[in-house]
Amino acid sequence: MAQQGNVGELLSMLDSPILGVLEDITAAFKDNLICDRGPMLVNNLVDYYLETNSQQALHILSTLQEPHDKHLLDKINEYMGKAATRLPTLSLLGHVIRRQPSWKHKLSQAPLLLSLLKCLKTDTDVVVLTTGVLVLITMLPMIPQSGKQYLHDFFGIFGRLSAWCLQNPGHVAEIYLVHLHASVYALFHRLYGMYPCNFVSFLRSHYSMKENLETFEEVVKPMMEHVRIHPELVTGSKDHELDPRRWKRLETHDVVIECAKISLDPAEASYEDGYYSVSRKLCTSLKHHQTDPSASYYVDTQSSYGTSTPYSTPRLTLSQMPGQLPQILSPQSIRQSTEPQQVTIWSPSAVCGMTTPPTSPGVVPSESSQSASQPYSKAFGTSGGKGTPLGTPATSPPPSCTSDDFVHVSLPSAAATPSKKEDKPDTGRPLLYRQQNVINSDKSLDTPSSKSSVTLSDLPEFLGGLSFEDSAEKDREEDAISKEISEITTDAEHMVPRGGFDSPFYRTNESLSGSQKKTHSVASSVQGHSQTSEPLTSSLDKPGPESARETPKQTFTPIDKPCGGSGESPAGNREGTSGETSIRTPSPYKVPAQRGVVSGSGQPPLYEHLFEVALPKTAYLFVGKKTEELLKKAKGTQDDECVSSTSPVEVLDRLIQQGADAHTKELNKLSLPSKSADWTHFGGSPPSDEIHTLRNQLLLLHNQLLYERFKRQQHALRNRRLLRKVIKATALEEHNAAMKDQLKLQEKEIQALKLSLQKEQARYHQFQEEHENIVAQLHSQIRQLQHDREEFYNQSQELQTKLEDCRNMIADLRLELKKANNKVCHTELLLSQVSQKLSNSESVQQQMEFLNRQLLVLGEVNELYLEQLQHKHTDTTKEVEMLHAAFRKELEKAKLCVQQQSQRLDASQKRIAELECQLAKKDHLFLEQKKYLEDVKIQARGQLQAVESRYKAQKRITQAFELEILDLFGRLEKSSLLKKLEDDKTEAAEAAEERLDCGNEDTVAGHSEEINGRNGETKPPSTRGSSSSKGGSSSELSTPEKPQNQRFSSRWEASVLLEPSTAVPLTVGSLPSSKSFLGMKARELFRNKSESQCDEEGVTINRLSDALKTELYKDPSMETKESSVGQLHIMDYNETHHDHS
Amino acid sequence: MADDSQRNFRSVYYEKVGFRGVEEKKSLEILLKDDRLDIEKLCTFSQRFPLPSMYRILVWKVLLGIIPPHHESHALVMKYRKEQYWDIHHALRVIRFINDSTPQVDVFLRIHQLESGKLPRNLAFPLEPEDEVFLAIAKAMEEMVEDPIECYWLVSCFVNQLNSKHKDSLQQLPKILEQYLNIEDNRLLMHLKACAAMSKLPYDLWFKKCFAGCLPESSLQRVWDKVISGSCKILVFVAVEILLTFKMKIIALNTAEKITQFLENIPQDNTDAIVSKAVDLWRTHCGTPAHSV
Repeated sequence: MAQQGNVGELLSMLDSPILGVLEDITAAFKDNLICDRGPMLVNNLVDYYLETNSQQALHILSTLQEPHDKHLLDKINEYMGKAATRLPTLSLLGHVIRRQPSWKHKLSQAPLLLSLLKCLKTDTDVVVLTTGVLVLITMLPMIPQSGKQYLHDFFGIFGRLSAWCLQNPGHVAEIYLVHLHASVYALFHRLYGMYPCNFVSFLRSHYSMKENLETFEEVVKPMMEHVRIHPELVTGSKDHELDPRRWKRLETHDVVIECAKISLDPAEASYEDGYYSVSRKLCTSLKHHQTDPSASYYVDTQSSYGTSTPYSTPRLTLSQMPGQLPQILSPQSIRQSTEPQQVTIWSPSAVCGMTTPPTSPGVVPSESSQSASQPYSKAFGTSGGKGTPLGTPATSPPPSCTSDDFVHVSLPSAAATPSKKEDKPDTGRPLLYRQQNVINSDKSLDTPSSKSSVTLSDLPEFLGGLSFEDSAEKDREEDAISKEISEITTDAEHMVPRGGFDSPFYRTNESLSGSQKKTHSVASSVQGHSQTSEPLTSSLDKPGPESARETPKQTFTPIDKPCGGSGESPAGNREGTSGETSIRTPSPYKVPAQRGVVSGSGQPPLYEHLFEVALPKTAYLFVGKKTEELLKKAKGTQDDECVSSTSPVEVLDRLIQQGADAHTKELNKLSLPSKSADWTHFGGSPPSDEIHTLRNQLLLLHNQLLYERFKRQQHALRNRRLLRKVIKATALEEHNAAMKDQLKLQEKEIQALKLSLQKEQARYHQFQEEHENIVAQLHSQIRQLQHDREEFYNQSQELQTKLEDCRNMIADLRLELKKANNKVCHTELLLSQVSQKLSNSESVQQQMEFLNRQLLVLGEVNELYLEQLQHKHTDTTKEVEMLHAAFRKELEKAKLCVQQQSQRLDASQKRIAELECQLAKKDHLFLEQKKYLEDVKIQARGQLQAVESRYKAQKRITQAFELEILDLFGRLEKSSLLKKLEDDKTEAAEAAEERLDCGNEDTVAGHSEEINGRNGETKPPSTRGSSSSKGGSSSELSTPEKPQNQRFSSRWEASVLLEPSTAVPLTVGSLPSSKSFLGMKARELFRNKSESQCDEEGVTINRLSDALKTELYKDPSMETKESSVGQLHIMDYNETHHDHS
Repeated sequence: MADDSQRNFRSVYYEKVGFRGVEEKKSLEILLKDDRLDIEKLCTFSQRFPLPSMYRILVWKVLLGIIPPHHESHALVMKYRKEQYWDIHHALRVIRFINDSTPQVDVFLRIHQLESGKLPRNLAFPLEPEDEVFLAIAKAMEEMVEDPIECYWLVSCFVNQLNSKHKDSLQQLPKILEQYLNIEDNRLLMHLKACAAMSKLPYDLWFKKCFAGCLPESSLQRVWDKVISGSCKILVFVAVEILLTFKMKIIALNTAEKITQFLENIPQDNTDAIVSKAVDLWRTHCGTPAHSV
């Protein structure tokens, strides 16, 4: 409880005016929150906030950390249920959410969301609804993937609210409806951007119903005219767009930008992807269309709203509707126009609830009021002094001031173009941008026509005068700062005309970008300058046909970027001029130009294009360094900015809230009728609910403002990210350039190396040639030397042959020498032999002499003995002795003889043995011989058999022949006999002879048959005999012939006996003779062959042959005797043959 | 046997296992290589093994004494034979027994007749049964041998051998046939006897002509191998085998004439098998052919 009390105290102290206490309290709260995890403190804070609407409490609540979120959400949910506290709760929720707490993802699960949706579905309070819708819109990008389950709730809410806008069931003030409509429009954008497929299908199903048709026609359809076809409608599907994976990659600001991209509304859209030209055209034409017929101030103010709020559609509807609203609002706008350019704390934008930061209105008037000759520092100072009554930091104005300064400075130089000046008085109103345009065109003119020296020289001087000696760097710092407050600058730009002229703001806005484009086109080509300048001016003069004129401008867009950047951002322009003008090629300015246009359409990311303009130049000398510095600065300023940017907003909020009371007085004077067009009540006291309405309106505006601020923050976030990417890209480009340089260097090096290589090669070739020459020389030398060597070799060979000859000669001589030696030796030997012989012969002679002498002596002795013998008788003893000796000698002789005999015996015995052996061998040999002989015999027998069979065959042949011959003879004779018989016919003998003939014939036939039969019988024995009588025994041989002879002879005899006639016996007789002759032949042959074997047998044969002869002799004799027929030839032949044999 | 050492020692096992005639050609070549051909051995060989066709004529010539056992005299003897043949041929031409158009077989017959001195007086004389036998054999031999001279000599010597060496045994063959048929197939024998066909079997064709004209030459050669080598019993077994082979048909025939007619014209498709079986049968009944000569 103590704590409870403590908390109460703390809460009471929370709003103390003393700053120190405030900080302490805040710190204490934060400590408490860190220590305490219970819901109590948070609940107390929420209660306190709802009670007092304390900013400090709000601040603490909106920065709550993780563990307390649940309590906070629960508490909010709790209060949400109560209708009384709903609105502040919602605004609290909005504050908390816009802070983007780290626990934002939990929102989707929180019951709070459900109750919010429920509230939106059921509540009838427009203010609550509008606030709730804005909260929802803010929340949607934070919880994209969880939106799935509530998708139909969202769509339902959209349907309900869109219908509400039209039907106005609560009959609330129209002004609320405007707010509601705006928020519905935002919801439409968000839903369409996030879930196009689902949303479109919802729209299809929802508005196909008849009761909703009107709503569609009146509310939704105009909204749809401000969106382009979402790409997801083509590529995606219902499920795909709800896929968490799709959302995972996108952060909150990504989602916001995604939604902005598909919008065609210049106030809402983001033209990052080059859609801008189309969208711009569309929106501008739309605007013209709207403005031209109505030409009311209200529309103008609306268009000024348009920079922040998407009011194009409501505008349209409102303009068509009975002009209640314009009437209501017109006093405001009139009042705004009546106090133009006034340097007051009171800015029209604040009154209108514009998103424009409060600083800008202060700045813009200062700009316009300042003279051209005023130095920059002064402008800075004045702007600071004038522009910060609301606590705006003094840093914000510089960019606009500088741009202003620049404009002024360049104004005199722009005098060179009279046509422009002429235009100036004509237009009159858009002076500022006109001047800018002039300058820009001038600039662009100068640069291409190489007159940039003037401006270049002028600029530094002027800048020097502005105490910007370190111009570029400082400027860039300024730029960085200016980027941080990009919103301010952009708004300032837009504000200028609005504040300065009572003419429609949209045109300034429009013509600003348009003129920029034109100037770019001018810059692009000198020749086309004059032509393009005219349409430029005319378009400025006549807003009506501008839409038509837009098209030619669009054609120039590719080239005309740079000046847009320069026009928009004087710093960038200055960079360009101070750096180098020649860099201003169209390509690098392309992106900046687009950015410029984007910024012109009211989108915050202005500083981006500044950077873009600045960065390409960093490619020069101190590029990298600068970028780094710049980055650092940017970061630093960003940090600073976080504090500085929020504070004025808070101030503004407070201002609006606190100043509402004071403002009511003036409102009373102005008499703003709420429900009807009470123009007559002007100056009368307004009804009490009017104040309420205004308050609510204010609240709504505040909500709107907060929503827009949230959006702006998202954009800023995104811009920072993009900036980082850009920086990275630039760094990479730098890197690339450096690499290219390196590459070039290396290429040079390579070329140098190639050159040296060629040189080296040439040298190498030279060396090679030299080497070859040397080699050739050496070769020739070698050849010569070889030649010499060969010669020497030949010589040596010759010498060697000579040497050989000499050696041969020496050998010959040696041989001769040897021979001679031999001869000598031989002769010596001979000599010695001869000498020996000589000595021998001498000794022989001596012996001879000695023997002769002995002979003589012995002769004398012999004579002596003879004398003694003669003197004496023969002595017997001596004889006996002599005999003995003789016998003995004989015995010895005999013995010797015996010995000899025995030896001979032995020898002979041996001889006998030898001979026996030889005999055996011989016997063996004989056996072998016999065997061989047998063999040979067998062989011979075989051959002989063959011969014999041949012989037999021959015999058979002969027999056959003979038979044939006989047969033929027989026939011949028979025929001749028949003739004879016919000749010597005697009748008596005829018959008998005929008879005989017949018988004879028969007998002859029988004979032949007999012979045949006999032959058949006799032959086998004969063959048998011949085969058996190999040796050829005579007896056996003779036997076959004899019987034949006998047989034939007997036959012959028989025939003779039978018939002693002539023919037959003769023929028969001849046969044996021939037969015998053949037999003789055979015998002779046989005898010749086997004569040696059978000599004895030959005798018998002879005898037999003799016998045969006798027989044969007999036969012829008989034949001769008995026949006179000349058949003797054969016989004779036979005889002679026999004689011969 | 000295030749056995030269023969493959496995030959014995070949025979045991049933491969006959593996080493025959080689052993025959060894036999034929001897300078003085051993006729005994050749006989044994021919009995035991079928002769290779490339040596058949040579072996026959040697066995029939057409050429002597000495290789040296072969040429000379053949020359003589040839001259003799041509002499007779010439003579026959001279006496107009033959002319160019006379069929070879008739020429052979005439030569044979002339050689044996049985030449008829003229051509008109009818042929005797032995001449018929000669003609049949010559016809068969003519198919086997190309050279007419060789053919003539083979026919002539073959007929002479039949007439001289086997004359007695040939007459015994019908009885032996009956005996073996009784052993082999009693029923068939009974059938034949029942038909009284036993006496009417074509004995002349079988035994006198030695199946010439009954069996095709390729089969006939193998039978004649045995006959020439001295065994005429083989004829009986061939006859028995023919009877056994065509047993069913013979049993189907009832009359002796039909049986005879059928047997005289037996189908010649599987005669090789018949001969092989006959040789086997012959071996089984007569033991080792080498000893049954």
